[in-house]
Amino acid sequence: MTTASEVLSSLQSAFPGAIKDPRVESDARLWATVDPKRIYDVCKYLTDKLNFDHYSGSAGVDWIANNEMEVVEIMASHGAHPVVAMLKVRTPRDNPSIKSLTGLYWNADWYEREIWEMFGINFENHSGLYPLLLSDELMGVWPWRKDFKGYPDLTTGQRAVALPTANGYTEFRIPPTPAEIEAGTVPKERPKYPSFREREEAEIKSDSEMIMHLGPQHAMVPGPFLLDILVEGERVRKGFLDVGYIHKGIEKIMENRTWLQGITYTDRMCYVASLSNNECYCGAVEKILGLEVPERAQYIRVIVEELSRIQSHLIGTGEFLTLIAGVGYAPWQYMIIDREHVISLIESVTGARLTHSFVRFGGVRNDLPDDFAEKCKITLPYIKSRINEFIELFAQDPIYDLRMKDVGVLPAETAKEVGIAGPALRASGVSYDMRVEDPILVYPDLDFKVITGTKGDCADRIDVRLREILESIYIIEQCLDRIPSGPIKPEAKVPKKVPAGEAYYRVEDPRGEMGMYVISDGGDKPYRVKVRGPFYATLQTLPPLLEGVYVADVVAIAGSMDGCPSEADR
Amino acid sequence: MGISDVIPVPVAIDEELEKWTIFGQPVADVWFTTTEKIHQIIEMGPIKNIFNWGRKNSVYFLMQPMGCCGVEMFVFGAAPYDSDRFGCIPRNTPRQTDVMIMSGYITRKYLPVFKNLWEQMPEPKWCIAIGECAISGGPFYDSYNIIQNTADYFPIDVFIPGCPPRPEQFLEGLMQLQEKIKQRKDKRGYY
Repeated sequence: MTTASEVLSSLQSAFPGAIKDPRVESDARLWATVDPKRIYDVCKYLTDKLNFDHYSGSAGVDWIANNEMEVVEIMASHGAHPVVAMLKVRTPRDNPSIKSLTGLYWNADWYEREIWEMFGINFENHSGLYPLLLSDELMGVWPWRKDFKGYPDLTTGQRAVALPTANGYTEFRIPPTPAEIEAGTVPKERPKYPSFREREEAEIKSDSEMIMHLGPQHAMVPGPFLLDILVEGERVRKGFLDVGYIHKGIEKIMENRTWLQGITYTDRMCYVASLSNNECYCGAVEKILGLEVPERAQYIRVIVEELSRIQSHLIGTGEFLTLIAGVGYAPWQYMIIDREHVISLIESVTGARLTHSFVRFGGVRNDLPDDFAEKCKITLPYIKSRINEFIELFAQDPIYDLRMKDVGVLPAETAKEVGIAGPALRASGVSYDMRVEDPILVYPDLDFKVITGTKGDCADRIDVRLREILESIYIIEQCLDRIPSGPIKPEAKVPKKVPAGEAYYRVEDPRGEMGMYVISDGGDKPYRVKVRGPFYATLQTLPPLLEGVYVADVVAIAGSMDGCPSEADR
Repeated sequence: MGISDVIPVPVAIDEELEKWTIFGQPVADVWFTTTEKIHQIIEMGPIKNIFNWGRKNSVYFLMQPMGCCGVEMFVFGAAPYDSDRFGCIPRNTPRQTDVMIMSGYITRKYLPVFKNLWEQMPEPKWCIAIGECAISGGPFYDSYNIIQNTADYFPIDVFIPGCPPRPEQFLEGLMQLQEKIKQRKDKRGYY
């Protein structure tokens, strides 16, 4: 088994002088600063020689005091070893520019575009630096830089102005006010690029092709995103994605809230799985603080997170079945009725239906209610029987088979390469689960299987999700048997100020691998919080998956990913 | 314009008919008139109550989740809370809906889209703002990308606070809207 120190010594011998300030935090975490000129070669070496085949994302950090910008490349492996290498590249703040990794990793595209639009860091050799999350009017203000003047917002009380366009539509835009211009939030020069509409229309090559818009308003996906498909007859030739319709700037807001207040924002990042988001943020902060979580609190966290996974998979499957059934709401109603049972269980512990803010630094907010185990003994077998019923139902239905089998097939190799996450990855046969790869809490003591599919088609994805619910129920049953009595919070009071440091913490969200990179500068607020969301990674892989499929299958493929655009947009 | 101009009737009958009135208006005006005129007349007579009764009991809403409240809107429209009891059915296209439920944050990028959806809805239409974000920006009040003053853009009849509100609150808000429609106190002021 490769460990972090082995990776470091291998890197140092291959690139003498290029690796600075290395820090081996544990067997699974390696921090290092890499020479900006060598970052491409270092990443290539890691991928080719040391099995780092999973480019997990990148984060931008603005070190305004040092007059430097930093890009942190997060490198991991699809199950070969548990090491996560955090490679930092520094560039001067005046004209920030580093080498793009899009030549090595297909999925670096979106991460780099996001850093470009938020920080203004240029990526050399990147083929399409277009805005991803921000609207055109916010381009060039670089909102995540520390000296961004538009925070708090100055747009309060303004009205949007209706602007008639040449093609007969009306656009609504918020023009800058004199106050904003005076404050300097309006950039003097904006980057030049073709707009989203122009880019997709440039792809139309013949008269037989046309563009179909799916969205941004979707009836059965919990958030808006725009999926445009270029169709030729019945076949899709190319897909285009436009996200950012509910971009709230959570990462920027969290920099301006205290550590504890940040928990409430993680709830609202992905509201279908807010407990795993809580866990991810609190775990990262606990790592910096060096806090030990009491055992009872660990069990309570596992129980509520697995319950959260059950309800998330139920709503995801229900949404998907409604999408493919067209007008039929029947499967949706079944799933929602079952989900209400789970929600009432979670509610009895956390006191809220969706936004819990339940996990705290070093523990949980409150203990399980007295009759929780009895309630579970009634609800869980019921859910189990229902899920078995659903699995049987789908296995028997010939129409479902025709619609789902061999649709949107994603082979294991491609799935790894494009960096898709969660059940969609496991459906392709890759056994990659954060609960096993990067174990947290009491997961190492628990007995559970990582559910994998075989082919990676739509039917497999749904099947994996449903069987994961059964596995979650099994985990909860074990936890309820083993849960010890004891404290649920650390004995000493958690300090308001977190010592300077940084941590990267990964959890298995219902949608896949979720990571949070938290930096503290010793103050009462985080210096930077970077969220590596699983649906962000999954959403990026949609356009290549859609190429060449029938129009009717587009909804089936997109729906089988179990979308939560809010978490992609943050 | 007299009736004899349109239908061949004896002049005597025409003169007689001109004296007749309906809701205080000459009958001839009412018979050969525009939709607008009909609306004016309905407004004057007791038939408006029947119209409003029909409107209030068939408020279809647009299924358009935009945030956390959108997930509660799913549940509100589905079997456990069953908004159907109040004549409130989720629809997938704005062309078939009467109520826009603003179920989350409106960002700078989404505002034009949302305004388009609102304009695609046929009259009469109403708007409900659900959750803190839709009312005032909520926890994201100072974000660079969130629109706070939604009431400036849309005639919001009912505000339902909560983060997110429970589906029961959705039902209560819906009943408040129905009461407003019944009493003709809604913002758009239909009859």
